[in-house]
Amino acid sequence: MKRIFSKDILKSYAFLLPFAFFIIAFILIPVIGAIINSFYQDVTFKAREFIQFENYTSLFQDSGFWQSLRFSLWFVLVSVPFELLLGMIFALLLNQIRKFRGLIWAAVLIPWAIPSAISARTWELIYNYNYGLANYALSAIGITQEPVNWLGTSIGAFISVVIADAWKTAPFITIILLAGLQGIPDDLYRQSRIDGANFVQGFRKITLPLLKPVIVVALLFRTIDALRVFDVIYVLTGGGPGGATTSLSIFGYNYYINGDFGYGSAVSVVLFAIAFGLSVLYVKMSRFKTGIR
Amino acid sequence: MREETVKTILIAAGIILMLSFCLAPFFFMIVTSLSKNPEFLSPAANFKLTLENYSSVIFKESLHFIDYLRNSIIVSGVSAVAGVLTAAVAAFAITRLKLPGKMLILFFALAVSMFPQISIVGYLFKLMTWMGWINTYFALTFPYVAWVLPLSLWILTSYFSQIPKELDRAAYVDGCSRLKVLTKIIMPVAMPAVLSTMLLAFIFAFNEFMFALILTSDHHARTVPVGIALFQGLHGEIPWGDIMAASAVTTLPVVILTIIFQRRIIAGLTRGAVKG
Repeated sequence: MKRIFSKDILKSYAFLLPFAFFIIAFILIPVIGAIINSFYQDVTFKAREFIQFENYTSLFQDSGFWQSLRFSLWFVLVSVPFELLLGMIFALLLNQIRKFRGLIWAAVLIPWAIPSAISARTWELIYNYNYGLANYALSAIGITQEPVNWLGTSIGAFISVVIADAWKTAPFITIILLAGLQGIPDDLYRQSRIDGANFVQGFRKITLPLLKPVIVVALLFRTIDALRVFDVIYVLTGGGPGGATTSLSIFGYNYYINGDFGYGSAVSVVLFAIAFGLSVLYVKMSRFKTGIR
Repeated sequence: MREETVKTILIAAGIILMLSFCLAPFFFMIVTSLSKNPEFLSPAANFKLTLENYSSVIFKESLHFIDYLRNSIIVSGVSAVAGVLTAAVAAFAITRLKLPGKMLILFFALAVSMFPQISIVGYLFKLMTWMGWINTYFALTFPYVAWVLPLSLWILTSYFSQIPKELDRAAYVDGCSRLKVLTKIIMPVAMPAVLSTMLLAFIFAFNEFMFALILTSDHHARTVPVGIALFQGLHGEIPWGDIMAASAVTTLPVVILTIIFQRRIIAGLTRGAVKG
């Protein structure tokens, strides 16, 4: 014990103090506060009262909670694979480019750099029933005769949110996959072509296995992000129509904003538990190589 | 030979499709912002060029767009600089000092970056009310520093571990303290990495929505994303021209930064996610 906590090492830990201050004060204490608060009745203009698990028992009987949990899980299940597919196609294309590389890479990166609340506003206009770009383009190409009610129907709103979210996040996946692709030596492909393999075989036998660690990283980062989705939905649909696109974050937010901190905290603790479980899984699945000795 | 041609055509077509998907919303944003009538795509209306939307967004004080922009730039700028410097001190300790449990700290930072914001913001609101900071820059800057720390720590740890240890050793032999080694040796060598990490941290803070939505209430501290999300017309109809002009004005600097620093952004992101 004495050796571990020598004066020298304590001095080294002092370098972590500013870092620890910010994380503890503005992330850890609020999270612990939310956990404690979830056992209280804590509504504006009412006396705060300890009610044990009552928030949780009413939560699990709340059909609105199950609807938002179901939406969040569906959103993860649909949007993450879709974004991964899109990111993979983008990465394979970008990897082939020789000319104008800097500009084209930047063009793909721009959707990621714009605040989602701002781009979601543009998507809101794109989905407009009467004069949005989506309906205009679809009827111009001749795919649809009648305009599509994008944001007014459950399924339309779901698709709209998934597409707007994929537009924003596919670049992130692309960049991560691209880093992996560039680590694969060209010689491997050249050799496989000499051996008579075509593109699909090369992709399945060389690219995919070598990209697997990178894919796991992208997949789990995106899973957590999709699970806690808020900005895009808040702007695009507000959780509607009829709660059809209410994610867990939106559901909890609605309680906070109405002054019910106890119930909102219980919602956030459930989401936190799911996200935490997944992040533990993440650390376990991808064996990190940090290069730190 | 023919197979090569087919391949080239397919790749070119794919790239055109990809670029249209990525850029179409921006074109629509800009065209709408330049149109007198935002409904120009409907059969009854047509496009008429105007700069009115831009002038109203920039000069009409009641819209507060310039206030939002200023708030965003100040809050994100201060958070990015403070966050990355804080992360640099921690990354120095993790990569170069004898520190039991350094991997634990890194994984802890990773776990923190995966916390849902909704489970932080409720209590943060109470904390900021108690401090009397609601609707001030403080209410956003402090949480934003914490919010950009995990990412910054991972990126800087990766950069710092590549700086040869011989540099430090020579400095210690010359009698430098650890703090001196950090400020006089490591920071100057790592300056490009530190700056590009700051750029990433800035983009992260600039993008943040939920904290800003809940912890601010008007143009004194409200940031651009929240301002644009809550933009409403006086009579209920949505002022699309103004919204798109405001979006375009906000987007333009981000686009320019992305084009100039594209290489550094990509290097930082892949360090944070893949190598880390």
